[in-house]
Amino acid sequence: MSTIIRIALRNVLRHKRRALITAITMMVGIGFFIFLDSLYNGLDHLSIDDVINFRDSSLKIFSSAYDADRESYPLDKGMADTAALSAWLKKDTRVVAVTPRTQFLAQAGNNRDAIYAIGNVVDPASDEQVFSLRKALIGRYFTPQAGSDRQIILGKELADKLGLKIGDTVVLAATTKYEAQNADDFTIVGLLSTSDPTLNKNSVFITFDAANDFLDLGGLVTETDVRLRQRVNLSDILADSASVAAAVKAAFPSLAPYSFQDLNKGILTVLRQKRIWGYVMMLFLLLIAAVGIVNTVLMSVYERIREVGVLKALGFRGREVVWMFILEGFFVGCLGSLLGAAMGTLINCYSIYVGFPLSKFGDVGAGFVFWGTLRGEWNPGSILFAVVFGMVVAMVAAYIPARSAARMTATSALRFV
Amino acid sequence: METILRLERVRKTYTKAQRSVEALRGIDLAIQKGEFLAIVGPSGSGKTTLLNIVGCLDLPTSGSVLYDGQELGRMTEKQLSIYRKENISFIFQSYNLIPVLTVQENVELPMVIERRFSHGEMRARTRDIVAAVGLGDMADRYPRELSGGQEQRVAIARALVKNPIVVLADEPTANLDSRTAEDIMSLMEIMNRERQTTFIFSTHDAMVQRHARRVIVLHDGLVSEDRGEAA
Repeated sequence: MSTIIRIALRNVLRHKRRALITAITMMVGIGFFIFLDSLYNGLDHLSIDDVINFRDSSLKIFSSAYDADRESYPLDKGMADTAALSAWLKKDTRVVAVTPRTQFLAQAGNNRDAIYAIGNVVDPASDEQVFSLRKALIGRYFTPQAGSDRQIILGKELADKLGLKIGDTVVLAATTKYEAQNADDFTIVGLLSTSDPTLNKNSVFITFDAANDFLDLGGLVTETDVRLRQRVNLSDILADSASVAAAVKAAFPSLAPYSFQDLNKGILTVLRQKRIWGYVMMLFLLLIAAVGIVNTVLMSVYERIREVGVLKALGFRGREVVWMFILEGFFVGCLGSLLGAAMGTLINCYSIYVGFPLSKFGDVGAGFVFWGTLRGEWNPGSILFAVVFGMVVAMVAAYIPARSAARMTATSALRFV
Repeated sequence: METILRLERVRKTYTKAQRSVEALRGIDLAIQKGEFLAIVGPSGSGKTTLLNIVGCLDLPTSGSVLYDGQELGRMTEKQLSIYRKENISFIFQSYNLIPVLTVQENVELPMVIERRFSHGEMRARTRDIVAAVGLGDMADRYPRELSGGQEQRVAIARALVKNPIVVLADEPTANLDSRTAEDIMSLMEIMNRERQTTFIFSTHDAMVQRHARRVIVLHDGLVSEDRGEAA
């Protein structure tokens, strides 16, 4: 075997330029595979982070009674003792912060037109620790008010439709906790422009101080939102969320906790499907590299048919001839794969530690704004996969021409011109 | 003398594009140990076909080939390959050295393939035979660094290193100038005498025929003349 390895390796070195060109083709395929995989992970993380930061938090808890009728946003079925739940949650090391929220149906208007909206009542101090509205805010966040609080934050697209801007007054109409109709003027302090179009189109935010007065809430809370610790991998985020939700259900059977995956089955399915298509696309990149290997070994085989004849006349068996060419493919594949891993890692260093500021892309479509920085993620499993795949593809690609060379008899190989 | 190879009524027919061509039409031949034998004849007379059959690279369509009494036609392809590996060596017209192996590695190659020799034995045999063909100081060179004559010397060393029963040489001097060709023939003669190795070579070259102690003339797939010591 050592002679076969020696012949294969020296033949690769003998045609350095050809081997290098093939290795560079592989390097580009594998390098981009690693980079795109990292970027896909980053995009997934960004999507999940956006849902956590602006809409769902890591975990949502309702009362069972509210949960049964959740779609009609009832204000008479809130959570009984959120203080006890909050204290219990904060004992868990995975829990970073807890905040109460109350949702209600409302109409936002400009004295001429009105648009239905989902109202969110928030406690500004604790809400900031769970959600990150401030990051996507044009204008300012809630500030403590002396006397009656009439501050409101609107989804930017909603404000645009009503022709309203920061500092304008919006008329908010809603049914109070006691089924009375109420309407009042609120001053717009901020406009929310997130990556979630539904939030931008139909959400309004007011404080508990304002809602206690406007909706006669009396401190009613319809949901408790929980922020869990930061995790690198999506699977860890999901596992934490599911496990804390299960613990809440066990400790508070009358509550209805929803893990992130319970609330976002659709998003997770889309992400998975997107990933599959991503992999199909990336595999095409690798297959293009494989064509390069086939071509290199094919040229090598045709150049050396007589040599194959000599080796067979000296006693080489067919499978030894096959191995000789497969090893040639393997050596070129190794070179290409390792160069590709180095290239992918280098690009990833930039993508992970510096990232791509999405603000540069500006507004994409109505109200849908990219914000923040898109960063890749390290995925050692994927780098390893790409390297091993490159080597295996190189060997398989080399096998096809090698087999045809090995099938020739010594006499026909020796006669080959 | 001991007969090492016997061909009885050997025929070989090739079929190409639904046309049959009889390359050998019933060859009877007995070859003794230590012969230095030339097969001559015009192009298409069957020289290469005969060498391929004698070299176990091809099987006859009919008739039998017996090496030391063993009939090749009864061997499986694997047995045939092993027999060839252990007992027969080749010298080619265009040397056919492996370009990425040094002189020493090229000469060692048949022993490496055969896996019958220890590392030390391979080294010793290679050193001796490379010195015997006059290339002792060129063992680490690659074929591209050698002249045509030197390459053919390496090919002779490679053919002889494992002490085969028969060395088959297809036009061994065709690519050499007359002086180098004379040197190569002298070298093969010396090896034949010293080692009692049987040499069978095909040739057009009158000088090569002069060196041969037996000459078999083929014409249209038949032996038309057999002259020399074993005849």
